[in-house]
Amino acid sequence: MSALAQLLQAPGASIDADGDFDAVNALVMEKGWGDGLPVVPPTEARVAAMLEYCDRPWDQPVAKIPPRWGEATPLRLAANAVMAGCEPRYFPLYLLAIEAMCEEPLNLYGVQATTHLCAPLVIVNGPVARELNVNAGHNAFGPGHKANASIGRAIRLALLNIGGAIPALGDMSTFGSPAKYSYLVAENEAESPWEPLHVERGLPREASAVTVIGAECLHNVNDHESLDGEGVLTTIAGTMATAGSNDIYYKAQPLVIMGPEHARAVAAHFSKAEAKRFLQQHATLPVGRLSRDNIERRVKVTFKDRLSNPKPDDVLYAVQRAEDLLIAVIGGAGKHSAFVPTFGATLPVTRALKTADGRLAQSVEDFRRR
Amino acid sequence: MSSKVRLVVPEAPSPQTVAATETRAVAIGAGIRLGILDNSKGNADHLLKFIVEGVKAVLPVASVVSLRKDSVSLPAPADILDRLVAESDYVITAMAD
Repeated sequence: MSALAQLLQAPGASIDADGDFDAVNALVMEKGWGDGLPVVPPTEARVAAMLEYCDRPWDQPVAKIPPRWGEATPLRLAANAVMAGCEPRYFPLYLLAIEAMCEEPLNLYGVQATTHLCAPLVIVNGPVARELNVNAGHNAFGPGHKANASIGRAIRLALLNIGGAIPALGDMSTFGSPAKYSYLVAENEAESPWEPLHVERGLPREASAVTVIGAECLHNVNDHESLDGEGVLTTIAGTMATAGSNDIYYKAQPLVIMGPEHARAVAAHFSKAEAKRFLQQHATLPVGRLSRDNIERRVKVTFKDRLSNPKPDDVLYAVQRAEDLLIAVIGGAGKHSAFVPTFGATLPVTRALKTADGRLAQSVEDFRRR
Repeated sequence: MSSKVRLVVPEAPSPQTVAATETRAVAIGAGIRLGILDNSKGNADHLLKFIVEGVKAVLPVASVVSLRKDSVSLPAPADILDRLVAESDYVITAMAD
Protein backbone atom coordinates (compact mmCIF):
# COMPACT_ATOMS: atom_id res chain seq x y z
CA MET A 1 0.00 0.00 0.00
CA SER A 2 1.34 3.44 -0.93
CA ALA A 3 2.06 6.11 1.67
CA LEU A 4 -0.84 8.14 0.32
CA ALA A 5 -3.24 5.18 0.39
CA GLN A 6 -2.35 4.68 4.06
CA LEU A 7 -3.08 8.33 4.87
CA LEU A 8 -6.41 8.10 3.09
CA GLN A 9 -7.53 5.38 5.45
CA ALA A 10 -7.84 7.96 8.22
CA PRO A 11 -11.46 8.83 9.04
CA GLY A 12 -12.71 11.66 6.86
CA ALA A 13 -9.61 11.79 4.66
CA SER A 14 -11.26 10.43 1.54
CA ILE A 15 -14.62 9.66 0.06
CA ASP A 16 -15.64 7.15 -2.59
CA ALA A 17 -17.77 8.64 -5.32
CA ASP A 18 -19.13 8.13 -8.78
CA GLY A 19 -16.22 8.90 -11.09
CA ASP A 20 -18.25 10.78 -13.67
CA PHE A 21 -17.04 14.40 -13.99
CA ASP A 22 -20.49 15.87 -13.57
CA ALA A 23 -21.25 13.60 -10.63
CA VAL A 24 -18.05 14.62 -8.86
CA ASN A 25 -18.85 18.28 -9.39
CA ALA A 26 -22.37 17.80 -8.12
CA LEU A 27 -20.90 16.20 -5.01
CA VAL A 28 -18.45 19.10 -4.58
CA MET A 29 -21.32 21.58 -4.78
CA GLU A 30 -23.41 19.53 -2.37
CA LYS A 31 -20.55 19.40 0.13
CA GLY A 32 -19.89 23.14 -0.25
CA TRP A 33 -16.27 22.55 -1.25
CA GLY A 34 -16.03 24.79 -4.27
CA ASP A 35 -15.90 28.41 -5.35
CA GLY A 36 -18.90 28.01 -7.67
CA LEU A 37 -16.89 27.00 -10.72
CA PRO A 38 -16.38 23.40 -11.86
CA VAL A 39 -13.35 21.72 -10.32
CA VAL A 40 -10.91 19.05 -11.39
CA PRO A 41 -11.84 15.93 -9.38
CA PRO A 42 -9.25 15.47 -6.58
CA THR A 43 -8.69 11.80 -7.23
CA GLU A 44 -6.11 9.80 -5.35
CA ALA A 45 -3.91 9.61 -8.47
CA ARG A 46 -4.00 13.36 -9.14
CA VAL A 47 -3.28 14.19 -5.50
CA ALA A 48 -0.41 11.70 -5.51
CA ALA A 49 1.11 13.48 -8.51
CA MET A 50 0.74 16.85 -6.75
CA LEU A 51 2.45 15.55 -3.63
CA GLU A 52 5.47 14.47 -5.66
CA TYR A 53 6.49 18.12 -5.33
CA CYS A 54 6.16 18.22 -1.55
CA ASP A 55 9.13 17.45 0.68
CA ARG A 56 7.19 17.87 3.95
CA PRO A 57 5.26 15.18 5.82
CA TRP A 58 1.96 15.00 3.98
CA ASP A 59 -0.22 14.71 7.07
CA GLN A 60 1.43 17.33 9.27
CA PRO A 61 -0.11 20.83 9.21
CA VAL A 62 2.04 23.60 7.76
CA ALA A 63 -0.41 26.18 9.10
CA LYS A 64 -3.83 26.62 10.62
CA ILE A 65 -6.18 28.72 8.53
CA PRO A 66 -8.68 31.00 10.26
CA PRO A 67 -11.47 31.59 11.00
CA ARG A 68 -12.08 27.85 11.37
CA TRP A 69 -8.42 27.27 12.25
CA GLY A 70 -8.49 24.21 10.04
CA GLU A 71 -5.23 22.33 9.77
CA ALA A 72 -3.62 22.91 6.38
CA THR A 73 -1.84 19.63 5.73
CA PRO A 74 -0.07 19.10 2.42
CA LEU A 75 -2.62 16.36 1.75
CA ARG A 76 -5.58 18.73 2.00
CA LEU A 77 -3.73 21.50 0.20
CA ALA A 78 -2.92 19.09 -2.63
CA ALA A 79 -6.58 18.22 -3.00
CA ASN A 80 -7.43 21.91 -3.28
CA ALA A 81 -4.60 22.48 -5.74
CA VAL A 82 -5.89 19.66 -7.95
CA MET A 83 -9.41 21.07 -7.80
CA ALA A 84 -8.10 24.49 -8.88
CA GLY A 85 -6.29 23.09 -11.91
CA CYS A 86 -2.72 23.48 -10.66
CA GLU A 87 0.16 21.63 -12.22
CA PRO A 88 2.07 19.55 -9.65
CA ARG A 89 5.18 21.73 -10.04
CA TYR A 90 3.18 24.70 -8.74
CA PHE A 91 2.75 23.04 -5.35
CA PRO A 92 5.88 24.40 -3.55
CA LEU A 93 4.93 27.99 -4.38
CA TYR A 94 1.32 27.37 -3.35
CA LEU A 95 2.35 25.90 -0.02
CA LEU A 96 4.72 28.84 0.59
CA ALA A 97 1.93 31.34 -0.04
CA ILE A 98 -0.35 29.55 2.43
CA GLU A 99 2.37 29.51 5.09
CA ALA A 100 3.13 33.20 4.57
CA MET A 101 -0.47 34.38 4.79
CA CYS A 102 -0.95 32.46 8.04
CA GLU A 103 1.83 34.36 9.79
CA GLU A 104 0.50 36.54 12.59
CA PRO A 105 1.31 40.02 11.17
CA LEU A 106 -1.03 39.49 8.23
CA ASN A 107 -3.99 38.97 10.59
CA LEU A 108 -5.62 36.47 8.27
CA TYR A 109 -8.43 36.00 10.75
CA GLY A 110 -9.44 39.61 10.24
CA VAL A 111 -8.79 39.54 6.49
CA GLN A 112 -10.98 36.45 6.10
CA ALA A 113 -13.84 37.36 8.40
CA THR A 114 -14.23 41.13 8.00
CA THR A 115 -17.10 42.94 6.31
CA HIS A 116 -14.36 44.71 4.27
CA LEU A 117 -13.71 43.31 0.78
CA CYS A 118 -10.01 42.50 1.18
CA ALA A 119 -8.28 39.32 0.06
CA PRO A 120 -4.69 38.09 0.34
CA LEU A 121 -2.72 39.40 -2.64
CA VAL A 122 0.37 37.30 -3.43
CA ILE A 123 3.31 38.89 -5.27
CA VAL A 124 5.94 36.40 -6.42
CA ASN A 125 9.59 37.30 -6.89
CA GLY A 126 12.72 35.47 -7.94
CA PRO A 127 13.68 32.70 -10.33
CA VAL A 128 10.73 30.45 -9.51
CA ALA A 129 8.35 33.13 -10.79
CA ARG A 130 10.02 32.83 -14.18
CA GLU A 131 10.33 29.04 -13.99
CA LEU A 132 6.57 28.70 -13.46
CA ASN A 133 5.73 31.48 -15.93
CA VAL A 134 3.86 33.55 -13.36
CA ASN A 135 2.68 36.54 -15.36
CA ALA A 136 4.24 39.87 -14.38
CA GLY A 137 3.59 41.73 -17.62
CA HIS A 138 0.60 42.66 -19.72
CA ASN A 139 -2.70 41.88 -18.00
CA ALA A 140 -0.83 40.45 -14.99
CA PHE A 141 -3.94 40.62 -12.82
CA GLY A 142 -6.18 39.33 -15.58
CA PRO A 143 -6.85 36.01 -17.26
CA GLY A 144 -4.69 33.94 -19.55
CA HIS A 145 -1.85 32.55 -17.44
CA LYS A 146 -2.27 29.16 -15.85
CA ALA A 147 0.04 29.74 -12.88
CA ASN A 148 -1.60 33.01 -11.85
CA ALA A 149 -5.10 31.67 -12.32
CA SER A 150 -4.76 28.23 -10.78
CA ILE A 151 -2.42 28.95 -7.85
CA GLY A 152 -4.53 31.95 -6.94
CA ARG A 153 -7.66 29.85 -7.17
CA ALA A 154 -6.10 27.06 -5.10
CA ILE A 155 -5.36 29.61 -2.38
CA ARG A 156 -8.99 30.69 -2.34
CA LEU A 157 -10.19 27.08 -2.21
CA ALA A 158 -7.95 26.45 0.80
CA LEU A 159 -9.26 29.60 2.48
CA LEU A 160 -12.78 28.29 1.90
CA ASN A 161 -12.40 24.57 2.51
CA ILE A 162 -9.74 24.54 5.22
CA GLY A 163 -10.16 28.02 6.68
CA GLY A 164 -13.93 28.04 6.59
CA ALA A 165 -14.25 31.44 4.90
CA ILE A 166 -17.71 30.49 3.73
CA PRO A 167 -19.65 33.51 2.49
CA ALA A 168 -22.01 34.86 5.15
CA LEU A 169 -20.75 32.28 7.68
CA GLY A 170 -16.97 32.69 8.02
CA ASP A 171 -16.49 35.45 5.45
CA MET A 172 -18.77 38.34 6.31
CA SER A 173 -17.66 40.63 3.48
CA THR A 174 -20.39 43.04 2.47
CA PHE A 175 -19.48 42.84 -1.21
CA GLY A 176 -16.84 40.18 -1.64
CA SER A 177 -14.49 40.87 -4.51
CA PRO A 178 -13.27 39.42 -7.82
CA ALA A 179 -9.93 39.16 -6.00
CA LYS A 180 -11.52 36.42 -3.89
CA TYR A 181 -11.38 34.09 -6.87
CA SER A 182 -7.67 34.48 -7.62
CA TYR A 183 -5.17 37.20 -6.69
CA LEU A 184 -1.59 36.28 -7.54
CA VAL A 185 0.98 37.97 -9.76
CA ALA A 186 4.73 38.25 -10.14
CA GLU A 187 6.78 41.43 -10.03
CA ASN A 188 8.13 42.48 -13.41
CA GLU A 189 11.73 42.44 -12.27
CA ALA A 190 13.08 42.60 -15.83
CA GLU A 191 11.36 45.94 -16.45
CA SER A 192 11.93 47.43 -13.01
CA PRO A 193 14.52 50.17 -12.55
CA TRP A 194 14.78 49.34 -8.85
CA GLU A 195 15.69 46.36 -6.74
CA PRO A 196 12.98 43.70 -6.53
CA LEU A 197 10.42 43.78 -3.75
CA HIS A 198 11.79 40.71 -1.97
CA VAL A 199 15.32 42.16 -1.94
CA GLU A 200 14.06 45.44 -0.53
CA ARG A 201 12.37 43.38 2.18
CA GLY A 202 15.60 41.70 3.20
CA LEU A 203 15.96 38.56 1.14
CA PRO A 204 18.84 37.65 -1.21
CA ARG A 205 18.29 38.44 -4.86
CA GLU A 206 18.67 34.77 -5.78
CA ALA A 207 15.84 33.81 -3.44
CA SER A 208 12.37 33.06 -4.69
CA ALA A 209 9.75 34.56 -2.44
CA VAL A 210 6.19 35.62 -1.92
CA THR A 211 4.94 38.83 -0.38
CA VAL A 212 1.37 38.60 0.85
CA ILE A 213 -0.77 41.68 1.46
CA GLY A 214 -4.29 41.88 2.92
CA ALA A 215 -5.46 43.99 0.03
CA GLU A 216 -8.34 45.55 -1.81
CA CYS A 217 -8.53 45.28 -5.58
CA LEU A 218 -6.20 47.59 -7.44
CA HIS A 219 -7.39 51.04 -8.47
CA ASN A 220 -6.00 52.40 -11.72
CA VAL A 221 -3.88 55.57 -11.96
CA ASN A 222 -4.04 56.96 -15.47
CA ASP A 223 -1.35 59.51 -16.27
CA HIS A 224 -0.57 59.90 -19.96
CA GLU A 225 0.43 63.54 -19.75
CA SER A 226 3.10 64.00 -17.09
CA LEU A 227 6.52 64.36 -18.63
CA ASP A 228 8.58 63.67 -15.53
CA GLY A 229 8.62 61.55 -12.42
CA GLU A 230 7.32 64.24 -10.11
CA GLY A 231 4.24 64.57 -12.28
CA VAL A 232 3.60 60.82 -12.20
CA LEU A 233 4.07 60.71 -8.43
CA THR A 234 1.72 63.67 -7.99
CA THR A 235 -1.01 61.82 -9.87
CA ILE A 236 -0.43 58.63 -7.88
CA ALA A 237 -0.51 60.57 -4.61
CA GLY A 238 -3.76 62.19 -5.66
CA THR A 239 -5.29 58.76 -6.15
CA MET A 240 -4.15 57.28 -2.84
CA ALA A 241 -5.97 59.33 -0.23
CA THR A 242 -9.72 58.79 -0.12
CA ALA A 243 -12.28 59.27 2.63
CA GLY A 244 -13.49 55.65 2.69
CA SER A 245 -10.08 54.02 2.97
CA ASN A 246 -9.19 51.89 5.99
CA ASP A 247 -5.55 52.88 5.60
CA ILE A 248 -6.03 56.47 6.72
CA TYR A 249 -6.89 55.21 10.22
CA TYR A 250 -4.23 52.49 10.63
CA LYS A 251 -0.46 52.10 10.56
CA ALA A 252 -1.05 50.28 7.32
CA GLN A 253 1.33 49.34 4.53
CA PRO A 254 -0.52 49.84 1.23
CA LEU A 255 0.95 49.08 -2.18
CA VAL A 256 1.73 51.29 -5.14
CA ILE A 257 2.08 49.33 -8.35
CA MET A 258 3.96 51.20 -11.02
CA GLY A 259 3.69 50.19 -14.62
CA PRO A 260 7.16 49.92 -16.17
CA GLU A 261 6.79 53.18 -18.13
CA HIS A 262 5.80 55.17 -15.08
CA ALA A 263 8.53 53.47 -13.04
CA ARG A 264 11.20 54.49 -15.55
CA ALA A 265 9.96 58.08 -15.56
CA VAL A 266 10.04 58.21 -11.77
CA ALA A 267 13.39 56.43 -11.44
CA ALA A 268 15.05 59.03 -13.68
CA HIS A 269 14.93 61.44 -10.76
CA PHE A 270 13.89 59.47 -7.67
CA SER A 271 15.28 56.52 -5.79
CA LYS A 272 12.59 54.18 -4.52
CA ALA A 273 13.00 55.58 -1.01
CA GLU A 274 12.67 59.15 -2.36
CA ALA A 275 9.56 58.19 -4.30
CA LYS A 276 8.05 56.78 -1.12
CA ARG A 277 8.80 59.98 0.78
CA PHE A 278 7.18 62.07 -1.94
CA LEU A 279 4.09 59.90 -1.97
CA GLN A 280 3.76 59.83 1.82
CA GLN A 281 3.99 63.60 2.01
CA HIS A 282 1.61 64.30 -0.87
CA ALA A 283 -1.02 61.56 -0.47
CA THR A 284 -3.09 63.53 2.00
CA LEU A 285 -6.75 64.04 2.67
CA PRO A 286 -8.10 67.22 4.28
CA VAL A 287 -10.12 66.42 7.39
CA GLY A 288 -12.88 68.54 5.92
CA ARG A 289 -13.51 65.81 3.33
CA LEU A 290 -14.81 63.54 6.08
CA SER A 291 -18.27 63.57 7.56
CA ARG A 292 -18.86 65.32 10.87
CA ASP A 293 -19.55 62.01 12.59
CA ASN A 294 -16.41 60.40 11.25
CA ILE A 295 -14.38 63.33 12.52
CA GLU A 296 -15.98 63.10 15.95
CA ARG A 297 -15.97 59.32 16.33
CA ARG A 298 -12.89 58.18 14.44
CA VAL A 299 -10.46 61.00 13.70
CA LYS A 300 -10.54 62.49 17.19
CA VAL A 301 -10.25 59.04 18.77
CA THR A 302 -7.62 57.54 16.48
CA PHE A 303 -5.45 60.65 16.27
CA LYS A 304 -6.20 62.11 19.69
CA ASP A 305 -2.63 63.40 20.11
CA ARG A 306 -2.46 65.25 16.77
CA LEU A 307 -6.08 65.95 15.84
CA SER A 308 -8.03 66.34 19.07
CA ASN A 309 -9.63 69.49 17.68
CA PRO A 310 -9.06 69.28 13.94
CA LYS A 311 -9.56 72.07 11.43
CA PRO A 312 -10.93 71.29 7.95
CA ASP A 313 -7.51 71.86 6.36
CA ASP A 314 -5.66 69.54 8.72
CA VAL A 315 -4.62 66.43 6.85
CA LEU A 316 -4.83 62.68 7.16
CA TYR A 317 -2.23 60.55 5.41
CA ALA A 318 -2.83 57.60 3.10
CA VAL A 319 0.24 56.02 4.66
CA GLN A 320 1.57 57.13 8.02
CA ARG A 321 5.30 56.66 7.37
CA ALA A 322 7.19 56.67 4.07
CA GLU A 323 8.95 53.41 4.88
CA ASP A 324 5.60 51.69 5.31
CA LEU A 325 4.66 52.15 1.66
CA LEU A 326 5.30 49.23 -0.67
CA ILE A 327 6.23 49.82 -4.31
CA ALA A 328 6.32 47.05 -6.90
CA VAL A 329 6.72 47.23 -10.67
CA ILE A 330 4.14 45.12 -12.45
CA GLY A 331 2.43 45.18 -15.83
CA GLY A 332 3.15 45.83 -19.47
CA ALA A 333 3.33 48.83 -21.77
CA GLY A 334 1.11 51.80 -21.07
CA LYS A 335 1.18 54.90 -18.94
CA HIS A 336 -0.66 53.47 -15.99
CA SER A 337 0.06 52.67 -12.36
CA ALA A 338 -2.27 51.38 -9.67
CA PHE A 339 -2.92 51.82 -5.98
CA VAL A 340 -3.82 48.90 -3.74
CA PRO A 341 -5.31 49.93 -0.39
CA THR A 342 -5.31 47.38 2.41
CA PHE A 343 -7.58 46.12 5.15
CA GLY A 344 -5.64 48.42 7.50
CA ALA A 345 -5.26 46.02 10.43
CA THR A 346 -2.81 43.89 8.50
CA LEU A 347 0.88 43.94 7.69
CA PRO A 348 2.53 42.38 4.64
CA VAL A 349 4.54 39.20 5.05
CA THR A 350 7.47 38.20 2.85
CA ARG A 351 8.75 34.65 2.96
CA ALA A 352 11.44 32.85 0.98
CA LEU A 353 10.97 29.52 -0.76
CA LYS A 354 13.03 26.96 1.15
CA THR A 355 13.31 23.21 1.13
CA ALA A 356 12.44 21.23 4.25
CA ASP A 357 16.08 21.34 5.37
CA GLY A 358 16.13 25.15 5.23
CA ARG A 359 18.03 25.76 1.99
CA LEU A 360 16.93 28.48 -0.41
CA ALA A 361 15.30 26.67 -3.31
CA GLN A 362 16.82 27.26 -6.73
CA SER A 363 13.98 25.54 -8.55
CA VAL A 364 10.71 23.79 -7.78
CA GLU A 365 12.53 20.62 -8.84
CA ASP A 366 14.37 20.88 -5.49
CA PHE A 367 11.12 19.72 -3.87
CA ARG A 368 10.57 16.72 -6.08
CA ARG A 369 10.68 13.37 -4.34
CA ARG A 370 13.34 11.12 -5.85
CA MET B 1 -21.94 3.40 -16.36
CA SER B 2 -19.08 5.26 -14.70
CA SER B 3 -16.69 3.68 -12.24
CA LYS B 4 -16.13 4.65 -8.65
CA VAL B 5 -13.19 6.86 -7.68
CA ARG B 6 -11.61 7.74 -4.37
CA LEU B 7 -11.55 11.50 -3.81
CA VAL B 8 -9.29 13.22 -1.31
CA VAL B 9 -11.35 15.41 0.98
CA PRO B 10 -10.19 19.04 0.63
CA GLU B 11 -11.92 20.20 3.77
CA ALA B 12 -10.59 20.47 7.33
CA PRO B 13 -12.91 19.77 10.23
CA SER B 14 -13.51 22.51 12.72
CA PRO B 15 -11.52 21.99 15.92
CA GLN B 16 -14.04 24.24 17.67
CA THR B 17 -16.71 21.59 17.21
CA VAL B 18 -15.10 19.60 19.99
CA ALA B 19 -14.84 22.57 22.33
CA ALA B 20 -18.46 23.48 21.71
CA THR B 21 -19.63 20.17 23.13
CA GLU B 22 -18.14 20.90 26.53
CA THR B 23 -20.60 22.11 29.13
CA ARG B 24 -20.25 23.91 32.40
CA ALA B 25 -23.00 23.81 34.95
CA VAL B 26 -24.01 27.26 36.14
CA ALA B 27 -26.02 27.83 39.29
CA ILE B 28 -28.35 30.74 38.67
CA GLY B 29 -29.64 30.96 42.22
CA ALA B 30 -27.36 33.73 43.45
CA GLY B 31 -27.30 35.39 40.06
CA ILE B 32 -25.13 34.86 37.02
CA ARG B 33 -21.77 36.46 36.54
CA LEU B 34 -22.01 38.32 33.26
CA GLY B 35 -18.97 39.08 31.10
CA ILE B 36 -19.01 41.78 28.44
CA LEU B 37 -16.44 41.97 25.64
CA ASP B 38 -16.68 45.27 23.76
CA ASN B 39 -14.98 44.76 20.40
CA SER B 40 -14.59 48.56 20.03
CA LYS B 41 -16.78 48.77 16.95
CA GLY B 42 -18.82 51.91 16.63
CA ASN B 43 -21.95 51.64 18.79
CA ALA B 44 -20.79 48.39 20.40
CA ASP B 45 -20.78 50.09 23.80
CA HIS B 46 -24.36 51.28 23.36
CA LEU B 47 -25.56 47.92 22.08
CA LEU B 48 -23.96 46.07 24.97
CA LYS B 49 -25.40 48.47 27.53
CA PHE B 50 -28.89 47.79 26.24
CA ILE B 51 -28.29 44.04 26.24
CA VAL B 52 -27.04 44.08 29.84
CA GLU B 53 -30.12 46.01 30.87
CA GLY B 54 -32.29 43.47 29.07
CA VAL B 55 -30.58 40.52 30.73
CA LYS B 56 -30.93 42.13 34.17
CA ALA B 57 -34.64 42.55 33.54
CA VAL B 58 -35.20 38.82 33.11
CA LEU B 59 -32.40 37.12 35.08
CA PRO B 60 -30.67 37.66 38.42
CA VAL B 61 -27.23 39.11 37.72
CA ALA B 62 -24.64 38.91 40.49
CA SER B 63 -21.86 40.80 38.70
CA VAL B 64 -20.90 42.36 35.40
CA VAL B 65 -17.30 42.52 34.20
CA SER B 66 -17.00 44.71 31.12
CA LEU B 67 -13.79 44.68 29.06
CA ARG B 68 -12.87 46.33 25.77
CA LYS B 69 -10.28 45.22 23.24
CA ASP B 70 -8.19 47.87 21.54
CA SER B 71 -8.54 46.73 17.95
CA VAL B 72 -11.73 45.97 16.10
CA SER B 73 -9.90 43.65 13.76
CA LEU B 74 -7.60 41.68 16.03
CA PRO B 75 -8.56 38.87 18.40
CA ALA B 76 -8.95 39.69 22.07
CA PRO B 77 -5.61 39.30 23.87
CA ALA B 78 -5.08 36.44 26.28
CA ASP B 79 -5.30 38.55 29.43
CA ILE B 80 -8.79 39.73 28.52
CA LEU B 81 -9.94 36.22 27.66
CA ASP B 82 -8.42 34.80 30.85
CA ARG B 83 -10.23 37.37 32.97
CA LEU B 84 -13.54 36.72 31.25
CA VAL B 85 -13.14 32.99 31.80
CA ALA B 86 -12.29 33.51 35.47
CA GLU B 87 -14.95 36.06 36.32
CA SER B 88 -17.89 35.19 34.07
CA ASP B 89 -20.47 32.49 33.66
CA TYR B 90 -21.69 33.91 30.37
CA VAL B 91 -19.96 36.32 27.98
CA ILE B 92 -21.69 38.63 25.54
CA THR B 93 -19.70 40.30 22.78
CA ALA B 94 -20.74 42.77 20.13
CA MET B 95 -20.73 42.78 16.36
CA ALA B 96 -22.19 46.25 15.91
CA ASP B 97 -21.73 46.62 12.14
